[in-house]
Amino acid sequence: MRTSRFTATVLMLYGLLVIAFLYLPLFSVGLASISKARYLSFPIRRYAYGWYGEALASDTVQTLLVLSLKVAGIVTVLSMIIGFFGALAFARYSWRFRKAYQKLILLPIFFPQTVLGLALLMWFNTLGIVPSWKTAVVAHLVWIAPIATLVISIRAYSFDPALEEAARDMGASTWDTLREVTIPLLMPGVVSAGLFAFLLSWGNFPLSLFTTGADSTLPEWLYAKMVSGYSPLVPTVGILTVGSSVVLVALGLLVPWGLRRMRALAGRVPSEQAAQQIPQET
Amino acid sequence: MGDQPILRINGLTKRFNDFTALHSIDLNVSEGEFLTIVGPSGSGKTTLIRLLVGIDEPSDGSIWLRDRRIDEVPANKRPTCMVFQSLALFPHRTVGQNIEFPLKLRKVPPADRRARALELLDLLRLPRDYYGKRIDQCSGGERQRVALARALAFDPEILFFDEPLSALDYRLRKTLEKELKDLHRRTGKTFIYITHSLEEAMVMSDRIAIMRAGRFEQIAPAEQIYAKPVSRFVAGFMGEVNLFDMTAGQVPGVTLSPHAQSRFAGQSGTLMIRPESLSILPPSGTADICFTAVIEAEYLLGSRMQYTLRRAGGGTVTVEVLREDAAQGGVGAEITLGCPADACHLIAEVPDAA
Repeated sequence: MRTSRFTATVLMLYGLLVIAFLYLPLFSVGLASISKARYLSFPIRRYAYGWYGEALASDTVQTLLVLSLKVAGIVTVLSMIIGFFGALAFARYSWRFRKAYQKLILLPIFFPQTVLGLALLMWFNTLGIVPSWKTAVVAHLVWIAPIATLVISIRAYSFDPALEEAARDMGASTWDTLREVTIPLLMPGVVSAGLFAFLLSWGNFPLSLFTTGADSTLPEWLYAKMVSGYSPLVPTVGILTVGSSVVLVALGLLVPWGLRRMRALAGRVPSEQAAQQIPQET
Repeated sequence: MGDQPILRINGLTKRFNDFTALHSIDLNVSEGEFLTIVGPSGSGKTTLIRLLVGIDEPSDGSIWLRDRRIDEVPANKRPTCMVFQSLALFPHRTVGQNIEFPLKLRKVPPADRRARALELLDLLRLPRDYYGKRIDQCSGGERQRVALARALAFDPEILFFDEPLSALDYRLRKTLEKELKDLHRRTGKTFIYITHSLEEAMVMSDRIAIMRAGRFEQIAPAEQIYAKPVSRFVAGFMGEVNLFDMTAGQVPGVTLSPHAQSRFAGQSGTLMIRPESLSILPPSGTADICFTAVIEAEYLLGSRMQYTLRRAGGGTVTVEVLREDAAQGGVGAEITLGCPADACHLIAEVPDAA
């Protein structure tokens, strides 16, 4: 079936509109970050790039960056580990309470984050724990680890259980099977779960607001500055935050690709040796 | 074949909750034998092989490998290997790495592993440059060979096969059946193969074990199972068959010669006649067992003709003859069919027991 010219044009316009709708706000923040004016107003009359230098030189911004990175980094690593085993329980093995587990694990995702943040804050208070970036890690995990689990589960569902059985049958111990078969095969899922975890933690505001205590993450600081004392530093830091996410996603896509390339090259070496052995043996 | 069985199974039972998949199975397998376990789906053959390999644990009974009891030994410590139905080749590894996997687990040095992998590629008639190929670059038949090479890599005592050919197309299956039989001969290993395809079993095996509802119905060489089945189930499972109910030496609608009458005198059961044992008689001809039937359909099977007929006494009959012996007339014609008494087999089973 061929699409008529008219339909094609309408679809194209619709697509462009959606893209504009999604990205124009971000673009305007980008513009705001290079405005010389003290207050955000359009059209921008004079441009200045000094805010970027100032942002990078600022101690506050550096502290914020380090703290946000620390939280997101720890959340990422822990989510990947929890998600990996969680996904095995979710999708791979059948056990008695699997159905209940599959439902329970989804609950934190359906909880509004503000409510979840409040609940956690009350809980920390009851336990006498002083909120800091460490409690924020716990709060992020409550929400992000289930998402990581789901992301890895998608991969685990398409996993042929016979692969593990075969490995065992050929003499692999439980650890051998995990290392040689299960982990490599679930790796793509684990990497995407890690990316998700990082981005969700890096940009999280509601959970951090309730649970960081005296500490502050980048999104929290952006909000605070927005409420009291706007300066073009706000969009600048915002753009820097977005920039770091983009760099991370690019790395997340490039590293596995690079590894595959390397493995493909490594796999070719023995075959050349094999080809060289033929004349010797025949 | 050695005198002492390589594998001995005693009273092996497997229960899943309140369902019993295997009812106290006994089996002896000789060294170097090619045994095929055949049965319809749900007969327990996969359950049995999973117990033998060690993936699942039996509820009762014992498994012996020569003098060693192995039912308590975990799968990774048993000197046996299985080729899975899905082949279970590792998609993230090359052909060479797949074949070397069991050797790597046994800490064989890389150079020796490679030598062994190449040797196995030769044995399975795969080109040596497949060593570095990815699994998804191999065709169905090639994957089959890779899986076999991997299973043979650590020189297991017994090789198990769980319907590995079932996903392949007919022609490739036929080729691989012969290759597998050939491989069995060349390696001298004990092969235990499960399938639901009788054809596969017939082509390859020394002995066939027919399984039904968690029990062995008959264990015998292929010819014997084909010619002398112990039950209607086995008879029907092994290809096309004509079954007649015999009561006190008589079959309604069928004329028996004096020779046949004395042979079956007073016996009851099911008379089995294979379609190829029947021949079309000339108008005046006679045979030990004789009856008339009307041709309902005819099929050309290359060098042979197959007919479906309706017997005068009721019931349909299948006949297979060489093309030069084809019936005169075609569909609708009434013909006389006959068969010598020695070509029949009486199953001592009352019709409704099945």
